[in-house]
Parts: sequence; C-alpha cells; structure tokens
Amino acid sequence: MGEWLTSPWFWPAVAAGGAVVLALAALILLSPVYKHIVCLKYLFGGWKAVVPIISALPAALGVFLLILVFAIMDGFVNETREMTRGTLADIIVDAHLGGMPYYDEFADRIKRIEGVEATTPVIQSYVVARIKPSGEFRFVKPIVRPCLLLGIRPAEKAKMGRFVNYLGRKVPPDAPPQALEHLLDVPTEYQRAGQPPRPGVIAGTAVIGVPVTDYVSETVQVGAGRRVLAWFLAAAATAAFLFIWRAAVHRPGRVGWRVAMGLAALSAVGLSVAALAAPVRPGQVIRPEVVDYPLLKRGDDLVVSTIPVRPSGAIKMEPGGLPKVSSRVFALVDVFRSKYWEADSSHLYVDFDVAQQMAGMEGSPAEGVPARASQIQVKVRDPAAAGTVVDHIQKAWEAFQAERPDEDLPHVTVNTWETQQRMILTIVKVQRNITTLMLGLMFVGFAVLIALISYVMAYIKSRDVGILKAVGASDAGVGSLFLGYGFLIGLLGTALGMIGAILMLHYLDQIEIWVNQTLEVDVFPRTMYYFEHIPRHLSPWWCVGVGGAVLGLATLASMVGGLLAAIRQPVETLRYE
Amino acid sequence: MSNEETILRGEGLVKDYRMGPARLRVLHGVDIAVRRGEFLCILGPSGSGKSTLLHLLGLLDRPTEGRVIFEGEDAFSRAKRWRDRMRNEAIGFVFQFYYLMPDLSVVENALLPAMIRTSLAAWPFTRWGERARAMAVLKDVGLGERVQHLPRELSGGERQRAAIARALVHRPRVLFADEPTGNLDSATGAEIMRVLERLNRKEGLTVVMVTHDASIAKRADRVLHLADGKLLTGRQ
Repeated sequence: MGEWLTSPWFWPAVAAGGAVVLALAALILLSPVYKHIVCLKYLFGGWKAVVPIISALPAALGVFLLILVFAIMDGFVNETREMTRGTLADIIVDAHLGGMPYYDEFADRIKRIEGVEATTPVIQSYVVARIKPSGEFRFVKPIVRPCLLLGIRPAEKAKMGRFVNYLGRKVPPDAPPQALEHLLDVPTEYQRAGQPPRPGVIAGTAVIGVPVTDYVSETVQVGAGRRVLAWFLAAAATAAFLFIWRAAVHRPGRVGWRVAMGLAALSAVGLSVAALAAPVRPGQVIRPEVVDYPLLKRGDDLVVSTIPVRPSGAIKMEPGGLPKVSSRVFALVDVFRSKYWEADSSHLYVDFDVAQQMAGMEGSPAEGVPARASQIQVKVRDPAAAGTVVDHIQKAWEAFQAERPDEDLPHVTVNTWETQQRMILTIVKVQRNITTLMLGLMFVGFAVLIALISYVMAYIKSRDVGILKAVGASDAGVGSLFLGYGFLIGLLGTALGMIGAILMLHYLDQIEIWVNQTLEVDVFPRTMYYFEHIPRHLSPWWCVGVGGAVLGLATLASMVGGLLAAIRQPVETLRYE
Repeated sequence: MSNEETILRGEGLVKDYRMGPARLRVLHGVDIAVRRGEFLCILGPSGSGKSTLLHLLGLLDRPTEGRVIFEGEDAFSRAKRWRDRMRNEAIGFVFQFYYLMPDLSVVENALLPAMIRTSLAAWPFTRWGERARAMAVLKDVGLGERVQHLPRELSGGERQRAAIARALVHRPRVLFADEPTGNLDSATGAEIMRVLERLNRKEGLTVVMVTHDASIAKRADRVLHLADGKLLTGRQ
C-alpha cells in the first residue's frame, strides 16, 4: 500500500479515476430514470433474477482467480527481487574476471555523479571450497564445492544492500561503520596457537550445510479459516433471503415462500453468529521445512582454492605448464542466509585485500602494474532512477578511458541489478504473465456469456422495448438500458470476486493451514520453497485494472443486446401478439 | 373543416412492407384529417391496414410515402427526437393487448411516460407530484385499490384500464386506441368504451380509435371506413 501511495502516478491516477467516476455519475444522474428502474427490475425481479446473478459468477470467479493468482505470483516476483537485490547493489560496474585498474579512483568519480550514494569495489573469483566437517560430523568425508569468492570491504558493502541483515549474527541497524569494518575479523578464541593467523570468511548457509528436513513449530491463529467460510456462507444465505423475499412480495399468502424465507433468514443469522462466535485462538502447527544443517561451526577451517588471472585475462601458470593454484585456509566467522538459493549455495565473503591477492589482482607497484578489482558496486538514492545513473557511469568510464589512452583499460559493463539478474526474474515474470493470460481468457467466455444473455434478454423483452418506444423512449435510451444491465452484472461479479480474493489473501496462511490439516494436502511445501509463508503482493493498480476490464468487457458485450433493442422498430414488436 | 380545427392530418399516406423480395402495399395514398376534440373511429376488417394507419398517425412508424402533419408540423421531416418527445408528451396509446410492462406495478406503468422524460437527478423532486397525478388517474379509471399489483395479477378489463391510465396520465392531446375492446368480453368492452367516451366528452380529449366492430364504431363522432388500404368515400 505504501509503495502505491508514494508512486508518482498516484495523484494523476486518482485525478483520472475521479474524473471517470464523476463523468459516470453525471451520465447516470442525467439519464432518464426509467432506465434505472426497469434495469433493476430486470436484475432483481424475483426468481428470474437468478439468471443474471448466475451469469455474474464467471466474472466473479475470473476476478477472484486473477487477483489471487496475480497477487501470489507477484509476491514471488517481489520476494525474489528483494532477495536478489539484497545480495547485490543497485548498479554493478563489472570488469569480469580480468578486472579493472584504478578502481578506487573511478569509484570516487562515480560518487560525484548526481544520485549516487555510495560505492565499493568487489573482487569476484570462481573458487572451490573444501569443507572438512568437524564435531559430531568429523567422520564425514570432506566435501568440495564450487563457489564464488567475493572480496569485500565490509563497512562499504553493508551500505549496498541487505548484506548485514542476512548474517547469522545480529547487527543493529544503527551500527557505526567502525563496527561493520570488523565483520570479517577472526576473534582471538578462534585462532590456533602455533599456527599462522587465518583470515575470516562468511559462508553461504548452503555452502557449509547439508539440506535436511526438519520439523518446525509455528504459532498460528487456529479457527480463522472456519470463520471465513462461515462469513461466505452467511453472505450466500443473505443473498438467498433477498431473492426469496423479492419473489415472495409478489406472491402474497403462499406458505412455501414464507417458509423458504424464514429458513434463509435463519441460516443467515445463524451463520453470522457462528462466524462471530467461532473461536480463533493461537495454536501450534508442526510442519516439515528444509534447513541447511551446518557441517562447520564458527572457527572451523574452510580451505579455498582458485586460479589467479592475469590482467590480460590469461591464467597464471606454474613452470611445467600447470595452472598456478592459489589456496588459503580461512576461519569461518559467520553464515549468510538471504533465502536466495544462488547466493546461499555459492557465496563466500572474505576481506577485499585477501581476495585480491588470491585472484592475482593485487598488482605490482615495482613493475608499475596497478591493482585490479572485478566490480564496483554502486548504491543510488532513488532506485527508480538507476537507469539514468547507469548512462552517466558509462559516459564517465568512456571519459576515464580517454584520459588514459596508453593504459588499454578494459571494457566494462554497467548494469542495474535487475538487468544483471534478468534471467531469474524473467522466468518468474514469464510464469506470472502466462498464468495471468490464461486466466484472462476466462473473461472471453464471460464476455460471450454476457453477449448471449443480453441478446436473449433484448429478444425476450422485445415487447417491453416496443412499449417503451411507444411512450417516447429514444432508441439510444432503450439500447443503453441493456448496456446498464451488462454493466451491473459485471459490477456484481467484480464486487463478489474482489471481496472474495481480498478475504482469501488476508486469511491465506490460516486457510493454507486449515487445508493442510483438514484435507492433508500440503499446498505450499516448505521443503520446496525457502519462503516461510506463501508470498503475496496485492497491487491496488491491478485490482483497479481487473475491475475496470471486467466492467468494460461486460458493457461492451452487452452492446449486442443494446443494439438489438435500439434498432428494433416498436411496430415490429407491438403488431403481433 | 378548417386548418385551425385540425390537430392531425395524413396526406397521401402509403405504406409498403417487404416480404422477402416482394413488397406488400398496405396503405394506398390515404388522406385523413382529425379535428381537435373529436372521437374518430376507423372501421375496417382485419388486414385492411387500420392498425398501420394508426401507427403512422401516432408517429410510431414512418410512411413509405406521404406526410403526417401533427399540430402543424411535418412530423417525419423533423428529428426523431421530436417524434419521441411528441409520443411522450402529446400522444397516448391504448393497444388491444394492453402492453403493460410486466415487471412494473400498475402505478409504475402509469408513471412510465414521466419516468422517460425525467432524469434520475430530478426524479426525487418530481416523483411525488407525478405519483399523485398517476394515482388520481388510476382512481378515475377505477384502479385506486390495485396500484401496487403487477399486470399479471389483474383481469383483462383492469389491464386495459391500467393501459388507459398510462396513456392519459401525461395529459396527451390525442389518444390512439387500437382495438381497445378487441380482447375483452362485451361487458368489459362496453365499460372501456364508456371511459373513452367520458374522456372525450368531458375533457375534450381527441380520440382516434380503430376497430373492426361496427357496434363499437357507432359510438364515435365520425367513422371512416378503410378497406384494402384505402379510405372509402361517402361512408362517413
């Protein structure tokens, strides 16, 4: 909701929506009153009103599913985006494995670009990590895993994304930069006497762990699902009561109607009372969840090996033609868990200088070879304006290259995090869009149904059309009566579907638990997803869009009946009985 | 017959209907004039074109040829909106089969012309005045106790009286009646005729009625005979 309120489109959209509502209200208020009265009589006139109400159900179902599915899939997109973004930065200036020289100088230049908040150089190198389990797992054979070594300056990296939030240790949000600088320091108690000091490493939770199914207990509100169900049934009973009442008004004295009305009223009241009185209390549920069980504890060794790369991109070789391997023993100081599998299963964070040395990027002042970094990560003030900053950085790098014509500076790619991670985001978005499209096709069926119903209505009500025209109603007026009829069916369907979807989303976790426990169907297995709850993101724009589309479609489809009514000559319908 | 007295005139009225590739001429150049305040009856057998003539004079249908002059205006050279307004304000129709809106109550049917010319915004202000007028007319035709009933809950005579009430509630200047007693038993038909006569005699309402029943027709001021789409001269 907050993002909606702060959107730059909020006020223009509110103004446009207000103008549409005012125009619609003016149109309704200035149109002849007979249209509204006759239209409402057609819709709610006794038992035959069941036909338009039933025809509103496909629209309700379509709206319900579109809002629900889109909200859940959008929740997946958003969660994935946030997790991905949290491990990266807003903008990444990437010189790849060859690296870029003068990175600090260029980072300073980036900082001067309007909109940039902070920068930090990063070393990135592909490595293998050897994990020798300790403690109770000391008899397990060592595990070797391919990883991504990230050399960082912790205090600077902390400003980039949510790096600090994903660490095992709790770092207060207002921690001073000095405290953050020591995130990779190895405490004295972890150092081993008689051995050279080991640098610290923060490892992804899945790098040093093995996935095991654990049973976790969670406190939930038990009974909320039953309450929602009771409210739905109470609403249905109330609607049934209204129908029977409308029908009974014109059938005075019939006992059957009164009995049916009484039963419906009793059901509505009883179910409402049941909904209000249904006990909702905190309860515990136990369900399986995948957790990465750590094979290492803090202070344990983690051996990392990599092959250094020269500035030219060539691999450093040993005499004899074998690649030179650079290995180092690190002490595990913390674990990193972002819930983004790619990061959690491969990232190893070490000190910038140590990583630079291992990757062979430290340079040689004596030989006039400058040190290199793989990336410069950039934090911007307004993520929405990151695209503009990307252009400025690209121009700044071209200028930087032009100032050093003899240096043969490498080509760098400048991307926002979103562009860099487009593959994973695109897959989720494509899934969301395909599902939305397929559900949207339901509306074609709904439109055909409305078109048929409005046509049949205009046909069976053709005598009414003739009567209205005989007493002075215009062709357009009588035609628009059937448009209003379709619009009201669409409105009813939209309202039902939207209320249902919002209620369902509000109580999604409780409903999921209820389905899980009552029907024993695990609709959202935690053994497959990293999310603790079904993600959801209800976009008001989407709700407005879906509602508007259904109303527009219903009105357009009912033009079939409207046109038939408009072109019908009154004498054609009144001449013959 | 002077022009000042004439409220409605048909000049050379021709009406053709398409029946597939063929054309069926129902009216063959009918000239007719209706004086203000008279009770005119058009008498003719079934299929003679009398209902078609009534629809043309009542601006419900457009003639293939000829003109309809209503209160000095050539109706079919004016915009359709004008004809709609005339049907709503100046003309009332009573049909053989009543043609009441089945979903509306008797009083709502009587209020239909008012509901057509009034916007939703204005309706709360005019509703009670219109309703009082409709109630008075319904009481006048003997339906004071049946105003909330649906048409299907009324007898044939009551339905026709409700249709007359709907045709009169906006105080039309001409009332067109198409076989108003054709679907009623003789006693109820006579009752309806008495209502029409009273409206014509006491309130000066111009009534144009078509019928095939000579005994009904003789109660009119003037009777025109229509046969095979032509008015027969010398039989007024």
